[in-house]
Amino acid sequence: MGVTCVSQMPVAEGKSVQQTVELLTKKLEMLGAEKQGTFCVDCETYHTAASTLGSQGQAGKLMYVMHNSEYPLSCFALFENGPCLIADTNFDVLMVKLKGFFQSAKASKIETRGTRYQYCDFLVKVGTVTMGPSARGISVEVEYGPCVVASDCWSLLLEFLQSFLGSHTPGAPTVFGNRHDAVYGPADTMVQYMELFNKVRKQQQVPVAGIR
Amino acid sequence: MADVLSVGVNLEAFSQAISAIQALRSSVSRVFDCLKDGMRNKETLEGREKAFIAHFQDNLHSVNRDLNELERLSNLVGKPSENHPLHNSGLLSLDPVQDKTPLYSQLLQAYKWSNKLQYHAGLASGLLNQQSLKRSANQMGVSAKRRPKAQPTTLVLPPHPGEYGVLSHRLHRASWKRKDGKAGQCSLPSTNRPPRALCGKCRVTLGKVLKVIVVMRSLFIDRTIVKGYNESVYTEDGKLDIWSKSSYQVFQKVTDHATTALLHYQLPQMPDVVVRSFMTWLRSYIKLFQAPCQRCGKFLQDGLPPTWRDFRTLEAFHDTCRQ
Repeated sequence: MGVTCVSQMPVAEGKSVQQTVELLTKKLEMLGAEKQGTFCVDCETYHTAASTLGSQGQAGKLMYVMHNSEYPLSCFALFENGPCLIADTNFDVLMVKLKGFFQSAKASKIETRGTRYQYCDFLVKVGTVTMGPSARGISVEVEYGPCVVASDCWSLLLEFLQSFLGSHTPGAPTVFGNRHDAVYGPADTMVQYMELFNKVRKQQQVPVAGIR
Repeated sequence: MADVLSVGVNLEAFSQAISAIQALRSSVSRVFDCLKDGMRNKETLEGREKAFIAHFQDNLHSVNRDLNELERLSNLVGKPSENHPLHNSGLLSLDPVQDKTPLYSQLLQAYKWSNKLQYHAGLASGLLNQQSLKRSANQMGVSAKRRPKAQPTTLVLPPHPGEYGVLSHRLHRASWKRKDGKAGQCSLPSTNRPPRALCGKCRVTLGKVLKVIVVMRSLFIDRTIVKGYNESVYTEDGKLDIWSKSSYQVFQKVTDHATTALLHYQLPQMPDVVVRSFMTWLRSYIKLFQAPCQRCGKFLQDGLPPTWRDFRTLEAFHDTCRQ
């Protein structure tokens, strides 16, 4: 896997989420990108159970359990700013057994689904972020396969992002800054998705104009 | 023209020589006539024999005389067309009916062309010998035995001062790894064994950018395959995979350019210099994803970063920007 940048694309003025996604995919197809199936990333939130909290006297930490269709046999468990565990998909069953320590937050499941596009060595995934039944935003993931060091190819990625996101090009993801010249891994992508989902959740309270 | 004139002067000698030939022929035929007729009727056998012998001798003498005359004349005639550049074919110019048989002018034209061809072929062969594309000293006509025995060469790239800054040390770390997996400097075996046995392959890792599989035949680099840092360079049975290409377009392109570089850096007499220059050139790919094109200033063109590195300046260019 290469270096990946996950960003949120704001919904265009006077357009629905669906229309903005279509606009974006049309732009990609004009660029010469080829459609290559679909993708899905989902995330479930767990609270630390009250019983364990009392003994440690800490504020409850949130744990996120995520899946990525790019790694169908893996399950990712992350803490905010904390470690990221990569496990087999059986981990979900384990979480049920750990009810005493981690409790699933109600209606917290958030996911993004969309189409996968290939353009040369770039892999672009444009997805609709949904929480429950409603569409909340748009995620854009760009992966550059040949490169494994994030800082090496950020300028190159930026140029590619600019070519189809225009003025909505994001800044460098925070995970890029922490890594220096370490090899980029799948966990870094999941951290970016987690941050994106958190951002979308917060927007929930202040509905964005244009989402219908 | 002088030849033509001298031929004209000697025409008289020619006609004399022709008549001399005729005389010779007739005298020779008289000899055979005499032999055919045999002895004439004479009174005595002795008289018959004497008359026959005398007659035969007369005839032979006349043959001898005619032959001498012909030889004398032939000296006069000489060899008329010897000095002519076209030898005997030069005589074609004497043909008065030029219009019907333009052989002579055609011949001259052909002669001129063949001269020119020979001249150009000579020039071309000189040039080709200077810039030999042959890839080993063997093919240059130097026998393998006479080739100086190559010492085990240790190839270490010197760190590049200044220019690459922090990155250069990373490159310095770019280690040679032999196929046995041991890291370290790549020392190539000496040529004590027959050259066929010297095929080797090594894996070169350049920073965290790419891996190169270098297939060597004795001290000559035969083939290179460039792959991504995160791509596997081994086959299922754990051997170096020297056949399959990278799944990324950018490294396929770099592989092509590396092959071009192999053909560019050719010095059959000094293979170690070739390896060194090639590795120095390859090192410039440490900034494959970081260096914008020196011509258009952009990173991407048709989805690819600047994959070409100039052989002399090592500057980065897109494939289409390099001209």
